Amino acid sequence: MTFSHKMMASTAALLIASSSTVWADGHATHPETGETLATDQTFTYRDLDESPSIDPGVAEDSAGGDILRDLFEGLYNQAADGSLEPGVALSHTVSDDNLVYTFTLRDNAKWSDGSPVTAGDFEYAWKRAASPELASPYSWYIELMAIENAAAVIAGEMDPSEMGVTAIDDTTLEVRLSQPLPYFDQMVTHFTTFPVPEAVIAEHGAEWTKPGNMVSNGAYVLTEHVPQEKLVRERNEMYWDNANTIIDKTTSLVINDENVALTRYLAGELDRTDVPAGQFPALQAEYPDQAVSVPLACSYYYTVNMTDTTNPALLDPKVRQALSLAVNRDVVVEAVLAGGQKPAYTFTHWATAGFETPDTPIAGMSQEERDAKAKELMAEAGYGPDNPLSVNLIYNTSEAHKSVAIAITQMWKQTLGVETELANQEWQTFLETRGNQDYELARAGWCADYNEASTFLDLMQSESGYNDAKYVNARVDELLAEAKTSDNPQAAYTEVEQIISAEVPIIPIYHYAAVKMFAENLEGWPLENFQQNWYSKDLYKVAE
Amino acid sequence: MLSFIARRLSVAIPTLLILVVLSFVLMYSAPGGPFNSERPLPPQVLANIEAKYGLDQPFWKQIVNYVWSVTTQFDFGPSFQYKDRTVNDVIAQGFPVTLTYGFWSFVVAVVVGVSLGIAAAIKQNSWLDYLAVGISVGAQVLPNFVMAPLLTLGLTLGWFWMTGAALLPGGGWEGGVIVAACAEKDNFCFGLPWGGAWRFDYLIMPVIALSTSYMASIARITRSSMLEVLNTNFIRTAKAKGLPMGRVIRKHALKPTMLPVLSYLGPAFVGMITGSVIIDVFFSTGGIGQFFVNSAFNRDYSVIMGITILVGALTMFFNLVVDILYAWIDPKIRY
Repeated sequence: MTFSHKMMASTAALLIASSSTVWADGHATHPETGETLATDQTFTYRDLDESPSIDPGVAEDSAGGDILRDLFEGLYNQAADGSLEPGVALSHTVSDDNLVYTFTLRDNAKWSDGSPVTAGDFEYAWKRAASPELASPYSWYIELMAIENAAAVIAGEMDPSEMGVTAIDDTTLEVRLSQPLPYFDQMVTHFTTFPVPEAVIAEHGAEWTKPGNMVSNGAYVLTEHVPQEKLVRERNEMYWDNANTIIDKTTSLVINDENVALTRYLAGELDRTDVPAGQFPALQAEYPDQAVSVPLACSYYYTVNMTDTTNPALLDPKVRQALSLAVNRDVVVEAVLAGGQKPAYTFTHWATAGFETPDTPIAGMSQEERDAKAKELMAEAGYGPDNPLSVNLIYNTSEAHKSVAIAITQMWKQTLGVETELANQEWQTFLETRGNQDYELARAGWCADYNEASTFLDLMQSESGYNDAKYVNARVDELLAEAKTSDNPQAAYTEVEQIISAEVPIIPIYHYAAVKMFAENLEGWPLENFQQNWYSKDLYKVAE
Repeated sequence: MLSFIARRLSVAIPTLLILVVLSFVLMYSAPGGPFNSERPLPPQVLANIEAKYGLDQPFWKQIVNYVWSVTTQFDFGPSFQYKDRTVNDVIAQGFPVTLTYGFWSFVVAVVVGVSLGIAAAIKQNSWLDYLAVGISVGAQVLPNFVMAPLLTLGLTLGWFWMTGAALLPGGGWEGGVIVAACAEKDNFCFGLPWGGAWRFDYLIMPVIALSTSYMASIARITRSSMLEVLNTNFIRTAKAKGLPMGRVIRKHALKPTMLPVLSYLGPAFVGMITGSVIIDVFFSTGGIGQFFVNSAFNRDYSVIMGITILVGALTMFFNLVVDILYAWIDPKIRY
């Protein structure tokens, strides 16, 4: 071997050696897409505030839900598009009368301490969530699931043992309902229905949610929690699908101020943050791959007080219609909010599963036509330049609500000559004022509990505790009751929306969108999931 | 002196009790409650929760129970908002954070403020005076809610854009100053010979933002107080004796100068160590300042009460300390 040959051979050896090291280190690929994965698989994101609780039975906010979907796994998970995927349950059957659901659980699901997850863990968790001793603010969710005797258990009239959920054996869970609920299987993806470890709770009591004490069955375990600062969860080696989990560690940082969060995102400290109001167009222009707007399951509307404590003018449907028609929703979403929100002419969010936005007269008009019609109706009701209408509008203190309110009251003034007195109120005061019908018009928002139109429309039911308009319509009540047992409730929903659009107990303004910044190399985010229910186990980072 | 301290302490206890009762009444008279939300709870669920936290009992009984458990067991009760935690947990986690950055802010504010004030007074109407006054006025007009985002923009994002790595993290606490070891990204971290490390990365921006306005006030008070002292007879006497200026300042002028400064420092110190909502919000420190404000918004009665008592007790304690220091500095003051 000559010198040059030797040289070549050793170089080749070196090349092989070094490339194989890189291969071992950084060239892991995604099992399905085949993309090359980054070496660093940590995901750090911003939360607005500390969650009230991370006990599945007690938790109540959506940020807490994000954490709990990582730490625990319920019967079903949601896929990227919001459809159902097996979680701890593999499948279920429903009885002919639609009242008994029988879930078959996988036998390889484990708690992070290695013990198996059984049907009994679900039975315990659901009964616990409903029990008056736990006094969970989300116990109503169990009642909403229409589980037999749940209402009586919450009311303290029956023992939790009489609730309609039973573990037949370790892998069979039977749930009995008090009435058929077409979307029941959707509801078991929610954190209130997640299993909890009875032995651990018995040992540690209320302290069981602290790191070190907590035992969970999700893809991650809680490793660090400094309230109001951060919460860290890391890979759960016991998770049944751990082999296919890519993100090793997820950290949520509590950053109250969204501008600070954006600064820290831009400085590379975060992989996901929220876009401050009004900044989306600029950020999208500058970072087209990072700024994203996706539909979010909430509707923004003004509610009209329909009781006798209101402004008498608002009891005239023509006045209410005129006010709704004169709101130029395109200006609100494009100029004021500018975050990909959509104008709302129905209460139900346009992206709700199985919901077809019905045709209403107002949606089909141009804004000029709406304004003309509004003037006409106002004149018919006896208001005009000589006799201007004055109303009050309250909203809870926030810059965004203020901007929307100012824009809308200007539209009312310019089109209809309506004088509006605006008042902002601190949150708790606002809730009390609105809840006591001590208002004329009030800002409101509603977010879906599950992906089905009744989560919005049930608010229009006469007896609903959330019906702040105190709107009463026997036909609406009838239709909503009918929808609960119908195989195809769309017809009923269409009619309800049309009645609301004609009678205007609420003035829908826009449907929410979530505007976020996502790190360029973060993949797997369920952008099409309308409740923005995401799982760290489905995310991954690609090599740059 | 001891009888003075005993007297003050004996007054402090009824004062605290009055504070507790007054805050309790004020809080309950505010509209709303801890369990109201956009989505009102069904009445039965609300009743269960109120029973759990004892809110279904008559008002007088709630006060009596509260005062009883605070005084006998030092138990401030569960937080109504953060349902996994007690008020003791909230304070135990948040207070050390604010105590740390508050203490360092205090040190910086006092050292810089007093030095600026003295320098300005000695060289009155010189460029040094104008500079010192200029700095303190500048610091005063830059409130911390302007300082904080400016600092983050400059030292975190600006630095990141220029060099590819931020000089200081944009927020967080990460365990504070005393840590086991420095991480690679820490720029202001020093290993200690006896093990462990001191890391100032997460401390620097909060301290600058919090201390500047206090520093400005201290500088102004020191300057005017020093000017007044320098014109008194005993200083003129000292100078007439031919003492060097440095000695006159150190031995004679400094102590009387500090009297008005001290009366400012007592409440200022409490203000700093109990944190600032601005600092906590902008730097996400997890300190207690933001709990104070958030708990008022959330009507988290037990947390409001706990922090009110903490701040009240600290204020009284440090006022007492100031009074004792007064007597030590000024021989004319005797208790």
